[in-house]
Amino acid sequence: MTGTRDQNAQIESLVNRLRRRQVVGSWSVSLETALLFRQVVSVARWNQVSVLINLVKDVGRRLVMAQPRELAVGNIVRRVLRSIRDVYNSEESSSNINLNKTSSTAEEVEHEDDDDDDDKIPQKGRTYDLQNYGGQSSSSASMINLLGDGSVGEKRASLDYDRKKMINELENMYVNIADQAMEHIHSNEIIMTIGKSRTVEVFLKTAAKKRKFSVVVAETSPTYLGHEMALSLSQAGIDTMVISDSAIFAVMSRVNKVIMGTHAVLANGGLISVSGTQMVATAAKHHSTPVVVCTGLYKLSPLYPYDEDSFNDLVAPDPVMSFDEGELIDKVTILNPYYDYVSPELVSLFITNTGGHPPSYLYRLINENYDPEDTVI
Amino acid sequence: MAPINKSAGKNIEAETVLQAVVLADSFNERFRPITLDMPRCLLPLCNTPLIEYTLEFLAVAGVQEVYIFCRAHSEKIKDYIKTSKWNRSYSPFKIITIVTPEARSIGDVLRELDAKQLISSDFILISGDVVSNIHLEKVLNAHRARKNIDKNIIMTMVVKEASPLHRTRPLGESSVFVLDEKTHECVHYESVELYPHKRSMVMDMEVFEKHSNVQIRNDFIDCQIDICSVEVLALFTENFDYQDIRKDFVYGILTSDLLGKTIYCHIVKDAYAARVRDLQTYDAISKDVLSRWTYPIVPDSNLQEGDSYEYMRGQIYKEQNVSLSRSCVLGEKVIIGSGTKIAENVKITNSVIGRRVNIGPNVKIDGAYIWDGVTINANCTISRSILANNVVLKENVIVNKGCLLSYDVVIGPKITLPPYTKLTKHKQSLDDYDVEVKEDKKEDSQEDFSYDIKLIGENGRGHIWNDEISDIDDDEAKNIKVATLAYDISNLSLTDNESTASEISEGSSDEESDSDESNTLEIFSKEVSQTLERAFSEGHTIEIASLELNTLRMASNTTLRDTQIVVIPTILNQVNADKLLPSTKDVLTRWGPLIGKLIHSKEDQIDALFTLQKYCAKHDTNSKIFAPSLRTLYEIDVIEEDAILEWYYDERSKGSIGKPEIYSKLHDMVYCDSIILVSLL
Repeated sequence: MTGTRDQNAQIESLVNRLRRRQVVGSWSVSLETALLFRQVVSVARWNQVSVLINLVKDVGRRLVMAQPRELAVGNIVRRVLRSIRDVYNSEESSSNINLNKTSSTAEEVEHEDDDDDDDKIPQKGRTYDLQNYGGQSSSSASMINLLGDGSVGEKRASLDYDRKKMINELENMYVNIADQAMEHIHSNEIIMTIGKSRTVEVFLKTAAKKRKFSVVVAETSPTYLGHEMALSLSQAGIDTMVISDSAIFAVMSRVNKVIMGTHAVLANGGLISVSGTQMVATAAKHHSTPVVVCTGLYKLSPLYPYDEDSFNDLVAPDPVMSFDEGELIDKVTILNPYYDYVSPELVSLFITNTGGHPPSYLYRLINENYDPEDTVI
Repeated sequence: MAPINKSAGKNIEAETVLQAVVLADSFNERFRPITLDMPRCLLPLCNTPLIEYTLEFLAVAGVQEVYIFCRAHSEKIKDYIKTSKWNRSYSPFKIITIVTPEARSIGDVLRELDAKQLISSDFILISGDVVSNIHLEKVLNAHRARKNIDKNIIMTMVVKEASPLHRTRPLGESSVFVLDEKTHECVHYESVELYPHKRSMVMDMEVFEKHSNVQIRNDFIDCQIDICSVEVLALFTENFDYQDIRKDFVYGILTSDLLGKTIYCHIVKDAYAARVRDLQTYDAISKDVLSRWTYPIVPDSNLQEGDSYEYMRGQIYKEQNVSLSRSCVLGEKVIIGSGTKIAENVKITNSVIGRRVNIGPNVKIDGAYIWDGVTINANCTISRSILANNVVLKENVIVNKGCLLSYDVVIGPKITLPPYTKLTKHKQSLDDYDVEVKEDKKEDSQEDFSYDIKLIGENGRGHIWNDEISDIDDDEAKNIKVATLAYDISNLSLTDNESTASEISEGSSDEESDSDESNTLEIFSKEVSQTLERAFSEGHTIEIASLELNTLRMASNTTLRDTQIVVIPTILNQVNADKLLPSTKDVLTRWGPLIGKLIHSKEDQIDALFTLQKYCAKHDTNSKIFAPSLRTLYEIDVIEEDAILEWYYDERSKGSIGKPEIYSKLHDMVYCDSIILVSLL
């Protein structure tokens, strides 16, 4: 079976790349994971749903173990599991079949236009539908155990389609979020941001096409991602100002709105975000400035921060204290946390690719996207 | 279009396969006695074998072929590689282990590599004990860019910027790099060992002519990651006496006028790279890993399969399945492997605890490296020591700093080990290789009798290991001592050391002798005295002995004067102290002509007289042989009358150096004697 060996090599390579930090950032991590699972699910041999679920869980566990800090990996795995369960459940309740399928075909037609690189999947999807219409009575007869080749083939196609949908969602996420920019950014506003987030970058640039506003970027030491962010924004013609992190509180009184990205969103609406975010959020709270967080839904994790340290990552202390300080580094402990935990009270609104939601609403999004059984992979 | 592109891409890949050569043998004995049982590259650093860090580093760098060269314990390394994840089908590179049992140095390995014709293009030469998170791609690109500018480049050495007394810098063996400020071309290399203490170095004037700005850097960690071109191997084959890649090869290339090859340094500033050279750096690098300087190569990224380390506040790394008692206290920088049980009231700080370790109640551990399967019973205290696999400490044992307990040693009960004790289950014999060979044959029953019960306790098992006994010269032993764990810098007796240096220069006496020459002079004088002793014992003729001496003198580029300074005392040492007068005469009539061979002018004769006088002025017994030896030398026409008179009237001969009273005594004696001499004429 060269197929499975190939696949094993692929899984192993992603595991290694995750561990070695060769793939970083929630978005690229999720995309890689989604692409891998599309392959895993389509190649896998299974005749019962539980087998497939276990397989996905196994692979998922390896990926999550490889890099527990990238919560997005777990989120994608959970969504894959959810969609498998959905297909399984829809089979059980035959009354829903028609509805589901017709809606999916409608969506599919939409997608078919922009997918010319891989034309196999939509075709399969079509056969699936046809078979379903033809063999409706038989499928309702063998509802519970999903045996029989035709039935498995149907599931396979449907799952494959789901994967494709998910990858599409990831690819279009920035545009979907940025489309909402006009509702949130008004003319002559002063907006503060921190760190470098592609979501926020696209969001602000989209708004700048129609509105005129200025942006204050905190430099975000010790990574100084703020510098890159400011450069990119000013190149797009946005009035940009870089401030040192210590000036955040002083400048906050003039800021109309804080718009920032995040690394992950936890079940309670708390953020795991680049260090310095906590300071911005607290300063904003003091001045009653609204804090808006732009994030794709794939960053939403059903995990709860029982210990806020547990999701943090401590990176090399190099940028904080130089290694040359030989005698000093022997005597002091230097910690360089990469992330901050921001509690949900400090966040006013989440803008996701499905629209804006307050932190208190996140539990519903979690229920929609993930199965409670999969919280622990 | 697409398939064609692919195959073309593959072709290019096949042409430039990135190869790495890993030296899995250190060719020194810094880790004795632990390395009697296990090769250095398999020793655990933060519970992960050292070679794992190196291979991980190469994997990140995108290396496609790895050759591992091993000598000692080659079977163990082979087995390890065979079962490791690097040998699987989805390993990022092809891994080949090559055993070179005859190789005695890095030079031998590289010559072997050249003979095998395995290397096709620029390759990475790395030692199997490097810990690094450098992005090697950048270094490779920089190397290629330099190659475009300077066609003669054969090597880029990766060095990490630190400070001169940095903990990660090996005290025992560091080096000074002289670089061109702009291009970072290495123009001179000087290895600096603590013993013998180096106080100056000699550089070619050409260096300053060619380069307008030169940096002399004594703050680099040499991490022994080199990007080498294939020519390096050929150069090693041509110069079959090159042993070390730094001391011999780099030094040789840079000082050679003929080759015209260049070597560059790549200075790493923001990433981490270091090499476990000795116990001191083992300690430092462990700490660096635990305080995350090596990120992302940290315990909680679980390099090995099956690891499950998690980070906890306060730089504590704990694997799953560790049982901690309620009252135990874990301080900062602690890592604990799975299956470990820690009992009540235990305090652990700054330590590495391996897997399946049992720690009894009331134990205190600070700065210790406790490897897998160790048992520590109640009330023990351990500070800054290494306990290798399966060591057992019975109740109430105190292990002081700097101790090294090798595999399977048992201590106790109620024993206090003095600082810097090294214990092993092998009995130390003078011939090091015997130990390795007999290792399997030795049975416990045979050894039981010879244990030193006072030192290791009633139920103890283990022999003491002394570095000094082995036949390496003193300096090496001293360097090893400095490199041991927990060696206090304040203990370094640099003043003491300077006195030895000045002693040597005293041998070469006055103003023009530079202390930098003292090193070569010392070697030279040692060789000269060895040659002479051989001549004495084997009864060589004067011609043969003088020929040998001349060859030595030419080889080490020393003056006649330096030679006779060594020769005269060595010959006079042959004098039998019981029958002074007759034996002086015998010895000098036999060997005096040899001194004559070294003496050509009157100045030489005077110098020889001063040497003679100095030798005789050292002790009272020596002073008695002055007059007879002077007379004999005169009689066999080695020293002429004019020289004696000139020497006699020279101010220095009246006692400016050495013990003045003996000097003046000698002077007077000669006064009488020379009157006799003159009257004889």
